[in-house]
Amino acid sequence: MNERVKDILSGFFVSVTLINVVMLILGKILGPNQTFGYEVFMYPLIYGFIGAIPGIVISGKKELSVSQVIIRKIMQLLLIIVLMFAFMFGGKPIDSELVTVAIFVSISIVIVFVLVNAILWWLDMRTAQNMTDDLLKYQQKRLNRQ
Amino acid sequence: MQIKVKTIDDTEKEYIEIGCYKRDERVDEIIRFVKLHQGSIEGSKEERKYRISLSDIYYIEAVDERTFIYSGKDCYESGKRLYEYEELLAERSFARISKSVIVNLMKITSIKPALNGRFLCRLKNGENVIISRKYVPGIKERLHGE
Repeated sequence: MNERVKDILSGFFVSVTLINVVMLILGKILGPNQTFGYEVFMYPLIYGFIGAIPGIVISGKKELSVSQVIIRKIMQLLLIIVLMFAFMFGGKPIDSELVTVAIFVSISIVIVFVLVNAILWWLDMRTAQNMTDDLLKYQQKRLNRQ
Repeated sequence: MQIKVKTIDDTEKEYIEIGCYKRDERVDEIIRFVKLHQGSIEGSKEERKYRISLSDIYYIEAVDERTFIYSGKDCYESGKRLYEYEELLAERSFARISKSVIVNLMKITSIKPALNGRFLCRLKNGENVIISRKYVPGIKERLHGE
C-alpha cells in the first residue's frame, strides 16, 4: 500500500479512537443526562473524516523542512477547527451556551491533534528502532561474510 | 616481505594482517590493493581520476543533474547517473533512500524519525542523510532479506 495512504489511514483510526474518548469526557461534562440513538456511533467516524480532509488537501509530494512542516501542521489544525465548527455549529444562532461548547470543542480538537501527532511520532520511533536493530544485524552478517 | 597464508575456521571472520616496521607508502599501496579487490568505482576530483573503494563510500548523491560520491572526508564527482549506481550496487551493501541519495548501509550508525514524516540516518562520520517514507518498505525488505 502507498505510504501516504497508510499515513492517512493510521492518522484517521488514531483520531477516531481519541475522538471517542473526547466525546465521552465532553458528554459527561456538558450533557451527562443526554441520551442518543445508534447514529451516535457514526459521529467519531464523521469527525475523523473531517479531521483527515485538511491533511489530504494540504499535503503534497514535495519534501519539506522542519519549519515548513510546523507551519503546515498549524494550518492543518486551524482548518480542522474551521471545518469542525462549520459542521457542528453551522446555521445555529450564537449564544453563550454555543460559545461554551465551542471553547470546549476547540480545546478538544487541539488536544486530539497533538495526541494523534504524538502517537504517530511514537509509532515512527518504533519503526526507526526496529530498522536500526535490523541494520546492526545486517552489518554484522556482512562483516562476518567478508 | 614474507607472505603467510593461514587457513582458518569458517566460523571466524576472514582478515588480512600486515606486519611492518612502520606504515609507509608500500604498506598503503597493499591496503589500497586489498580494498580495490573488495570493489571500487571511479570518481574525479580537481580534474584527476580516482578509484574509490566501495568500503570507503558513505553515500552517493545527485544534485542538479550531477552525481557526487562522498567518502569519509572527500567528495568526488561522477559521470554516471544515480539510477546506474543503484543498478550497479544492488548486490552490494548500498540502498536507495530518497530520490537523490544512495547510502552505504554499512556506514549507518542509527535511524531516527524526523519531524517531517521522514527518517534520519546518522552516519559513522557524523553526517545525517534523509530516508524518504516512500523508500522505507524497500529498505526494511532489504535488511530482512539479507
